[in-house]
Amino acid sequence: MTREQRFEAEALPHLRALYATAYRMTRNAHDAEDLVQETCLRAYRAFDRYQPGTNIRAWLFTILHRARTDSFRRSARSPQTVELIGDGPAVAPAQDALARGGEDIVRAMEGLPEVFRTAVVLRDLEDFTYEEIARILEVPIGTVMSRIHRGRALLRAALGTRTT
Amino acid sequence: MSAPGCDGPRVTAYVDGALTAEARAEVEAHLATCASCREQEAFERGLREKMRTLPAPPLPSGLEERVSRRLRRRSLPSAVRWLPLAACVALVLVWARGAAPFVAWELMRDHVHCFSKARLPAQVWTSDAREIGEWYRAHGTELPLVPSSAGGLELVGGRFCPLLDRRVAHLYYEGNKRRLSLYMVPGPARFASGFGLRVRGEDVRLLRTGGTTVALVSEDADALDAFQHALSVSVAEAAPVP
Repeated sequence: MTREQRFEAEALPHLRALYATAYRMTRNAHDAEDLVQETCLRAYRAFDRYQPGTNIRAWLFTILHRARTDSFRRSARSPQTVELIGDGPAVAPAQDALARGGEDIVRAMEGLPEVFRTAVVLRDLEDFTYEEIARILEVPIGTVMSRIHRGRALLRAALGTRTT
Repeated sequence: MSAPGCDGPRVTAYVDGALTAEARAEVEAHLATCASCREQEAFERGLREKMRTLPAPPLPSGLEERVSRRLRRRSLPSAVRWLPLAACVALVLVWARGAAPFVAWELMRDHVHCFSKARLPAQVWTSDAREIGEWYRAHGTELPLVPSSAGGLELVGGRFCPLLDRRVAHLYYEGNKRRLSLYMVPGPARFASGFGLRVRGEDVRLLRTGGTTVALVSEDADALDAFQHALSVSVAEAAPVP
């Protein structure tokens, strides 16, 4: 089996998950595809450094996150500056929004600053553990916890009045 | 909204099952007494449930194929990937072949090679410049007027060298244990007039006489001076009177 075949067999099954996360990060199909292509190329180049049998999914997402960070660096824009919660429809209690459909959640997610959105996506959509997310984002676990907390709190605020 | 003892991030970690048993027990004890944190917990659990049901963005058709194609482009055999660079190097080399240092180097090597043999690999043996001129003319090469002797060295013979990409007339001179090669290099050569180079104990001089390039190679600088002078005189004498 050539190196290329091994890579395709191991990495390409994760293409859908990579694309889904790339899409949530970039919020559009075009940038998401660019990001996934870049991620796959980088992963292929670094494939010799990947240890077979270890967590290839987390490894690929680490590369995805780095590629995303680098693309921000190139455009001299920080992901943190993508701010402001989008003006969704009229405020409804958060639990009601959850009870309704996914559209509100999707819209609220898109309104999150990217640092928080990415942390929530990795946890709630890709089901990574805190340790894995810490490795992917290259931050301490405490930071992962606070980002997820903050992300969910912002979602709760966006989805409805915060009940106190 | 928060009561004393409320720790939102810890509740989040609790929902995600990321706490140690001890911390989990502490949070549970707090939740039992704090409605606000219970609401947070309920919201986050509900959010996680709901998130799981969100449809994934559809994979653009052909993405997998496009990714594979780019990988294949990357993984061409290294020989193929280096091809453009190799082509550039080859081009530079071809260009350099006409350049003075390259020409000088090749002539020096040939000179040493010929004179290191037990017997000179000459194709024609003569000490008469006129005779050797006729031999070359008979073989399709017009020599400039070369001296039969100069600086105590005498013509011995000559041959054609398959040097560079051309057929080069190579004349041997010997005398007093000194050796000298005279090359007639046809075609263009790029060098400043009177280019000289000393390589491995041999002096190489490139001269333009008339329209052709004559190269002199010897370890003896005096012999080279004598030949350079003799050539300039004979060429001047052969030049049509204005």
